[in-house]
Amino acid sequence: MTDRPFRRLSPLTPVVRGFIVVVAAGTTVLRDVTRGDLGPAAVLLGMLLVGGGVFGIASWYRTKFWIEADELRVDTGVISRQSRRIRIDRLQGIDIVQPFVARLFGLAELRMDVAGGHAREGSLAFLPLGEARELKDLLLTHRDEVRARTAPPEARLAVEGPAPTAEGATPTPQSAPVAAVPAPPGPERVLARVDLGTLMLSTLLSVETIVLVVLGTGLLAVFVASGEWLGASAVAPLLAGLGVVLFKRVSGNYGFTVSETPAGLQVRRGLFDLTAQTITVARIQGLVVTEPLLWRWLGWSRLDVSIAGYGDSSEDEGPAPSTVLPVGQRAAVAFLARHVLAGDEVAQATLHPAPRGARWAAPVGWRYMAAGATDRLVVSREGWLTRRTHAAPHARVQSVRVTQGPWQRRLGLADLHLDSPPGPTRVRARNRVAAETREWFDVEVRVSREARRRLGRPASPSVPPSP
Amino acid sequence: MNDLFAPPGNEWRPVSPQLGRMRRTVLAVLVAVAVVVSLTAGLVLGLLGWFGSLAALWLVLGAAGWVVIGRNARSWGYAERDEDLFIKHGALFRELVAVPYGRMQFVDITSGPVEQLYGVATVHLHTASASSNARIPGLPAAEAARLRDRLTQLGEAQAAGL
Repeated sequence: MTDRPFRRLSPLTPVVRGFIVVVAAGTTVLRDVTRGDLGPAAVLLGMLLVGGGVFGIASWYRTKFWIEADELRVDTGVISRQSRRIRIDRLQGIDIVQPFVARLFGLAELRMDVAGGHAREGSLAFLPLGEARELKDLLLTHRDEVRARTAPPEARLAVEGPAPTAEGATPTPQSAPVAAVPAPPGPERVLARVDLGTLMLSTLLSVETIVLVVLGTGLLAVFVASGEWLGASAVAPLLAGLGVVLFKRVSGNYGFTVSETPAGLQVRRGLFDLTAQTITVARIQGLVVTEPLLWRWLGWSRLDVSIAGYGDSSEDEGPAPSTVLPVGQRAAVAFLARHVLAGDEVAQATLHPAPRGARWAAPVGWRYMAAGATDRLVVSREGWLTRRTHAAPHARVQSVRVTQGPWQRRLGLADLHLDSPPGPTRVRARNRVAAETREWFDVEVRVSREARRRLGRPASPSVPPSP
Repeated sequence: MNDLFAPPGNEWRPVSPQLGRMRRTVLAVLVAVAVVVSLTAGLVLGLLGWFGSLAALWLVLGAAGWVVIGRNARSWGYAERDEDLFIKHGALFRELVAVPYGRMQFVDITSGPVEQLYGVATVHLHTASASSNARIPGLPAAEAARLRDRLTQLGEAQAAGL
């Protein structure tokens, strides 16, 4: 091999990867060996263990990574060799994930998010936690250096997209003229934290839980009333299933902390599987504030963001990488929302409700549909049980659409959609008066064009000082 | 003319009438096959009454499709503006979309075997959003190539960050 200073993953990697096999084989084989007779199952498991072990060790041995000419190179493969090059200036974010087993060994996985890639293409699993953190900081610092020295801002705009605003849009006190100097891995400031009580209560109060509990109680009542005690036991798996789902949510969001670091927003969460995720504020395409029915009485809501390249993963209410705050008081959510949108205020938008005629198109929902805009944002709200407020900056709108179905045409209504990259954000003004929709469409086409231009001008002070 | 889908400038540029012809031909072939299969099955199984009505149903559906295709094919229109492309389509479910050139990630042209037979192609503009749905089918091949080149050129000139 060559003498380049490559690094290897943690030698414990094969153990973590095959932990289940190791444990199963270990216990079975050991028991049989001590008893002195090896059954066929034990032999099979033993062979699997040995084979897997050899492969795992070989795979670990052949996996090397190093930084070379602004690229992170990862060589892998036992039988067929692969060499992956990840351009450091293309790195969008780096997450540190600790699955439960890895955590037992103090290891972590480094996941790199690359611009243009749909999936997270680069992953280094597993590294000792300290080394993972150090490598993450190193890569992010290196990225900022590369970005600062290559390409003038305009060119970067064309190639890179999110990069240029990384300087302007993060309203960190110390990162105002950040362009040239890579921010040191400085202190982080905690913006919000979710305590266990709030998290558990909020999980219990979700709409699905209520529905399930009502259903379960109903069933139970029926069985008890009819004296069919055996039937009542049928409710047990339902409740057990519910318990598992709830527990997953709580454990996934356990110890949820959002803090501000020079590299972006950092989200940390997890009871068993620890996740630390860095979100570059400049990559945020829009946000959603979700308020389920029961939360509204407590003044709680959830904040999700759309991040370019992350895709749509937040539909299933579970712990998702798009969640910036799983539950919080309105004020806390508003504060984070303002932070995420670089100082823009969602609450400033005057939302215009859908016209009365819309009740024929959406008999219940029309009361809750509303949309409006500010100088910088387009905002829409809908939902009866679960209210969602979507907001996206004009400058981030990808395309503007008007749609109209046959029934809407009869009623003289139309929908206006402001398309965002895949993610939870979906700003749309549904069931508006047709003429007004077209007017708004034309205005939005113009406004978003101007907003894009402002964004494109490198030196523009597009961000007001954060309050 | 519906105000909601009025052209931004003077007129919508229509797509090739070949689009409607192509789709109608495909439909006719499918219906013919379905009818023949149904009737054959009826003859073989001796249930000509049932399968005969099935064949009649195909014909009725085919006729409805014929009308729908005609209306849909005529509905397509696009307009190239200085900084964005407008596309409108749909007869029953109508849509109007404005795609800024600066938002385009890439443009591709597809032309399947049947489309090639009719000398048409589909130009598809991809933005970072999956829902943009900016697609123009039934463009004459030369026009499709011209449009792609122009869009690519403008897209590069006006590219904006995400």
